[in-house]
Amino acid sequence: MDAPSLIEDIRFGFGPLAGRPPSKGGLDPDRLLAQLTAPDPAAAAWDRPDLATRAPLIAIYQEDHKNGLIKQGAKLAAPESRQLIQIEEDDMTAYAARPAVALTPFRERLVNFWCNRITVAANSNAVRRVIQSYRDEAVRPNIGGRLADLLKATLWHPAKLFYLTQNTSTGPNSPIGLKRGKGLNENLAREFLELHTMGHGYTQADVTELARLLAGMKNDADGPRVEDGRAEPGVKHILGVAYHPGKDEIDRLVEDVAHRPETAQATAFFMARHFIADQPPDDLVAAIAKACTDNDTQLVPMYRAMLTHLLAAGERQKLRSPLELVVASLRLTGMTGTEQNLRGFKKEGMRLPDRLRTMGQPIEQPARPDGWPDVADGWLTPPMVAARTDWAVDLARAVGDRSDPVALADFALGGLAKPMLPRAVGGAEQRWEGLAVLLASPDFSRR
Amino acid sequence: MDLLLSRRSFLIGCSVAASPLLTPVTFAAAPSENRLVVIILRGAMDGLDVVRPVGDAAYAGLRPTLAADPGPALNDFFTLHPAAADLLPLWQAKELGFAHAVATPYRNGRSHFIGQDALENGTDSGDGTLTSAHDGWLNRAIGLIKGVTPDTAVSVSQQRLLVLEGANETDHWYPVTESPLSDQGRQLIAALNAADPLFAEPFAEATKLENSASGMEGGVPSGKMQYAQLGTYVAQRLMGPSRIASFSFNGWDMHRDQKQAMANQLKGLSDAILAIKTGLGRAWGTTLVIGITEFGRTARENGTGGTDHGTGGMAVLAGGALKGGQVFGKWPGLGDSDLFENRDLLPTADVRSYPALALRAMFGVQAHGLESTVFPGLDLGSDPGFLL
Repeated sequence: MDAPSLIEDIRFGFGPLAGRPPSKGGLDPDRLLAQLTAPDPAAAAWDRPDLATRAPLIAIYQEDHKNGLIKQGAKLAAPESRQLIQIEEDDMTAYAARPAVALTPFRERLVNFWCNRITVAANSNAVRRVIQSYRDEAVRPNIGGRLADLLKATLWHPAKLFYLTQNTSTGPNSPIGLKRGKGLNENLAREFLELHTMGHGYTQADVTELARLLAGMKNDADGPRVEDGRAEPGVKHILGVAYHPGKDEIDRLVEDVAHRPETAQATAFFMARHFIADQPPDDLVAAIAKACTDNDTQLVPMYRAMLTHLLAAGERQKLRSPLELVVASLRLTGMTGTEQNLRGFKKEGMRLPDRLRTMGQPIEQPARPDGWPDVADGWLTPPMVAARTDWAVDLARAVGDRSDPVALADFALGGLAKPMLPRAVGGAEQRWEGLAVLLASPDFSRR
Repeated sequence: MDLLLSRRSFLIGCSVAASPLLTPVTFAAAPSENRLVVIILRGAMDGLDVVRPVGDAAYAGLRPTLAADPGPALNDFFTLHPAAADLLPLWQAKELGFAHAVATPYRNGRSHFIGQDALENGTDSGDGTLTSAHDGWLNRAIGLIKGVTPDTAVSVSQQRLLVLEGANETDHWYPVTESPLSDQGRQLIAALNAADPLFAEPFAEATKLENSASGMEGGVPSGKMQYAQLGTYVAQRLMGPSRIASFSFNGWDMHRDQKQAMANQLKGLSDAILAIKTGLGRAWGTTLVIGITEFGRTARENGTGGTDHGTGGMAVLAGGALKGGQVFGKWPGLGDSDLFENRDLLPTADVRSYPALALRAMFGVQAHGLESTVFPGLDLGSDPGFLL
């Protein structure tokens, strides 16, 4: 597989990878789209255990947790519990390490984009147990398929059901609702229409009816289904269409909503905003939305509509998020983030989860159900800028002693750099400080 | 570990529940021995769960699971949530009180985002429309306090604290780590950042603050004791030139499993208040802490062991300046016909009157300024007599 060109690497990836010089030339949509299906052994080395593998460990862990055995380093816990703890620590490591080594960085960017567009946050232990599976089993396999299928997979994933408290929402007229006085909450119903799909064009009545339709959703070892005991009986009218209780009807609802023009428009807007510009132009959004509507919500035509727009190869307008900045600097310096005994860092290494937190992007913990800000202002408070600078300085100090910072600046940005950048990088007194100047430059933060 | 100080007026941003690690602390200095701490309780605190009207005949029926364990009695009508028991000694010392059934004028929506903006802006609008300057009421109040020194200062987190933003300069603080870069390396980085339209301002502000590092010990608050640490920082600032401090305390939005969530929150809030008291020492005697929230929650539990967005809420009051040991305000009742829109506690007082009266009593802000500039449309009305 050819290496991406510089602009492909920077805008649709995480910047060039050490030892893999960018291909010559500009943006080639076919080369980028080929990344969706190309093998990537480097990234695959960071594949994480799936939910089926984790499930038995989770069961034992939860038992240990209930018995107070997880405290104090889990020394008294079962080996399975300790294994799960290790797996989840490694999940955190892989969050940056996988994109740091990936040969198909566009694929990794798309996974991150969709995980954020249809946000799940590890705000409880229940979500924390399954959030890696959300990424790997609900989002990743569907980024090259249809939006409707991606929405179904994410809606039904246990992480989503836990995160938006759908797992306990109960039809007030269901058997359990009547017997135990349980009821609905509208959390998932509202966010599905507001944040994951349409954004506008529905009413409070649609939300309420959808909450009634979704009541009883469950997904565990027995698979996705609507529990009879919690399902709200009767027909629900949502956006003018009648739905009966049951899983198939929920899937039909998702299919219908995915095909709405509001959904195409909103999805196109957020895609364009993520990859191209904080305020994407209308014609770009319209082109992506049209590709969605014309192609049964197929995502690849939407990506192609974006990649063939003039702005796809235009001036860099976006700011790298903290994760993108960290990964770009790891790729440039040939690191994975797992290295230990680095000068200036604590013995155990870079502690990227802490770094990302101070930069404003704690791993898998966006503050709100609409996800990370995805615009420059969201990452640029003074303490965040200070944290970005600190990262640049600390990484450069650890690995930059023998680097050639001017050559690295050329490798990272080539002709895209502002004229003053190579001068500033070359003007540093020491090699590592030159690298720090490069990594802390606004130029390096742009994509 | 040094502190990086930075100052920034945020015009964008959002403010619902986030990691408490990212909680901003904002300070303003004023020449008085009185001290005021304003806590923004984000997410809509359930006042009916914190201070429980067990004397109201309807209460037990509305809260069958949440109120199962009533907690220690405050008086013959109210009990305190068991997880807030650490605060009982303050109540007994008359240094803790609550204002029940209070609300901002925002009544038409129950949106966190609009509600919090309205709370911090101080608007009189029923639909939450902000006053024209889009600034914070505490910032406007500072402009009316005599002898204020606008400190060069520090904004400290991704979240804005609208309540202190505006035309009058205020300080923001938060700890960060220091850098090993040489002066020359710094200058090169500074030059590149200064030349960039996006980075110029926040970079310059971060740097300015770094140059005025404070020597506060302890680092970034984290872990179980983070709220105590936060309270300690607030107290340390108030023992310096600052007299008014504000911070936000997130995480009060509890649509499900409120029992545990509320217990955790109240532990943190108790830690913060007690750390402020400890840190202030004798100065606690002339201090008032006010915790305010964007609105209350439904009188009834919902179907998932939580509560949904409501209207009438509660303010938490603490400090030696308080005439405490009382629950202030007119109790509206919890019967079906008493509830606002048959679901929420009916507000019987404007929550803005509590900080307004405190600003008058503690910092000499005149009634006219309070009713026109700080809280437009507010009727100060009769003072419930909550301050010594």
